[in-house]
Amino acid sequence: MIESRLKKVLAAGHFAVTAECGPPKGADPEVIRKKGNLLKGFVDSVNVTDNQTGVVRLSSLAACAILREEGLDPVLQMVTRDRNRIALQSDVLGASALGIRNILCLSGDHQSLGNQKGAKGVFDLDSMQLLQTVRQMRDKGIMLGGDRLNANPALFVGAVENPFGDPQGYRVARLAKKIRAGAEFIQTQCIYNLARFSEFMTQVRDRGLDSKVFILGGITPLKSIRMAEFMRDSVAGMDVPDEIIARMKGVPAKEQRQEGIKIAVETIRALKELKGVHGVHIMAIEWEEVVPTLVEEAGLSPRPDV
Amino acid sequence: MSDPDHSDSTVAIFFCRQLDPEQDANRRSLEKELGPKVRFFPLPCSGRIEALHFLKALETGARKVYLVACPEGACRYGQGNVRARKRLDFAKALVREVGMSDDCFELVTAPGAGLASMDEIARGLLGLKPHRA
Amino acid sequence: MITAERKPFAEIKAACAPYRRILVVGCGTCVAECAAGGEKEVALLASQLRLDAGKARRTIDVKEVTLDRQCVYEFIDQIFPLVDQYDVILSLGCGAGVQAMAEVLPKIHIVPALNTTSIAETMEQGVWREDCRGCGDCKLDRFADICPITRCAKGLFNGPCGGSKGGHCEVDPDVPCAWHLIITRMEETGRLDAMNEVEPPADWARTQGKGPRKIVREDQKTP
Repeated sequence: MIESRLKKVLAAGHFAVTAECGPPKGADPEVIRKKGNLLKGFVDSVNVTDNQTGVVRLSSLAACAILREEGLDPVLQMVTRDRNRIALQSDVLGASALGIRNILCLSGDHQSLGNQKGAKGVFDLDSMQLLQTVRQMRDKGIMLGGDRLNANPALFVGAVENPFGDPQGYRVARLAKKIRAGAEFIQTQCIYNLARFSEFMTQVRDRGLDSKVFILGGITPLKSIRMAEFMRDSVAGMDVPDEIIARMKGVPAKEQRQEGIKIAVETIRALKELKGVHGVHIMAIEWEEVVPTLVEEAGLSPRPDV
Repeated sequence: MSDPDHSDSTVAIFFCRQLDPEQDANRRSLEKELGPKVRFFPLPCSGRIEALHFLKALETGARKVYLVACPEGACRYGQGNVRARKRLDFAKALVREVGMSDDCFELVTAPGAGLASMDEIARGLLGLKPHRA
Repeated sequence: MITAERKPFAEIKAACAPYRRILVVGCGTCVAECAAGGEKEVALLASQLRLDAGKARRTIDVKEVTLDRQCVYEFIDQIFPLVDQYDVILSLGCGAGVQAMAEVLPKIHIVPALNTTSIAETMEQGVWREDCRGCGDCKLDRFADICPITRCAKGLFNGPCGGSKGGHCEVDPDVPCAWHLIITRMEETGRLDAMNEVEPPADWARTQGKGPRKIVREDQKTP
């Protein structure tokens, strides 16, 4: 019987490690297999993004199935931008049938940001409603509208939260709402401002939310000063403090990747010590090769047996 | 309709009445001299201009339409001359859509209320020598 | 009101190209309010048509008429006697106006001169902002009277998403984040707790229905 490794690792009290795998803009499954094998053994589970930023890529569902074949524990990212409730529920059943045991429910980046700007944004459901729907299918065996399923999907259900998004004061309340909607684990937007993230976690703990949901802090290693500035200026809901910019600027171009790795490792180590954080989610899109380095240098290798 | 040969076409001058309290009398000599070739349209404020005024002037034979407005900050009604500029720009966009050059419409800022007569202003625009009283 | 914008002249010209006698019909209600299709705009378009024809040394006959409302048959009847004298009608009504005219005057070619865009409010003179998508299931009071379908780019019912930055939408820095506005207003009016409940999925059947929605009120019909 296939089980969610992510769920087992977290339930056993270990600090979990997940990473993101970006599918190709093409039909070649080898790309996925290669990335999967790069990450195998260094992470507990692998997320596959779902047409991230509205750019058409090999589907998350297919890529997760390929990773499953390679012996990994995939996390199916599912956005509500592109599919209505019929397709979403259908894919939930399909994912479970293919042995995929984790799902991350998101609304998705707006289609105007991608390469299909004329596409109709569906948004039949939003991420909260999708969370509720998946939980209901799994726990009660019914789909929206009340029809019974003849076999419930087996999925560990997650959502995202951005501690740096606006409105600032509402972010913790929103996390509470996602838990109420059914989220069992949370992967956050990538963290560069540790101080601010710590404050967020203080409020999370004050409300007792850390005992109701598993929180994995997001990490994206910086490759260059240009990337750092791009993240700061052009990516919504991102907080890149001046000290980080200064550190990246302070080293010559060919040492910037190293500095970026250093910063990431420091951040992961800090998250390990931060009460209420249950793991780390490494989003090194198109730099998946760096994940093993980060995991090892952060002292998170080897992964525990569960 | 507009005549590409200028000898038969007219110039239309829309202007703010506040610029010359004696404008009615002061434009007589030019009107006598040029007849139908110049047409004056006094406005209570340059901001009362509408895009349609510009287009209609063109339709009825003008090759050039001027709007004479008060200097920046000197509009008696506040922002009239600012609005005038916006409406002129809109009218220009409409004639560009039709494939015509938008320099047929021009906003002219006068020296100020009572500082020049309508006769002097108009002669300046038309490139004519000053009128001998 | 319903807002619309005048189509580019080139598009209108292309549609009218085969015709010499053009009846330009405006509407005095919504599209007059948003300065797209009222009497003034009819005059401007007619003027452009004449200037354009003059340039090409073509003769055209353009008549300007503005109806109180183009979506009500009784008003359209007024131009019925004119129709035989023209080859085409250029309608400056919204989509409903164009189609209503076509119902009353099916034999003449009617060309839309506007792109109908939204149901909007006048924020200030010259500025109209879309407010309503006609979902048929109004729950505005649950969202501090800010429509999440219309004003949130993703139509979220449980927003904001992670892309809300400085109160603006990730799609366009000039667009306020509707959810930021909703949360703020709920907070200011002491109703933030109402946001703790998850808003369930919408019933889109009310919007898309089965073809065009039609309202029939027996009490309003003339027997």
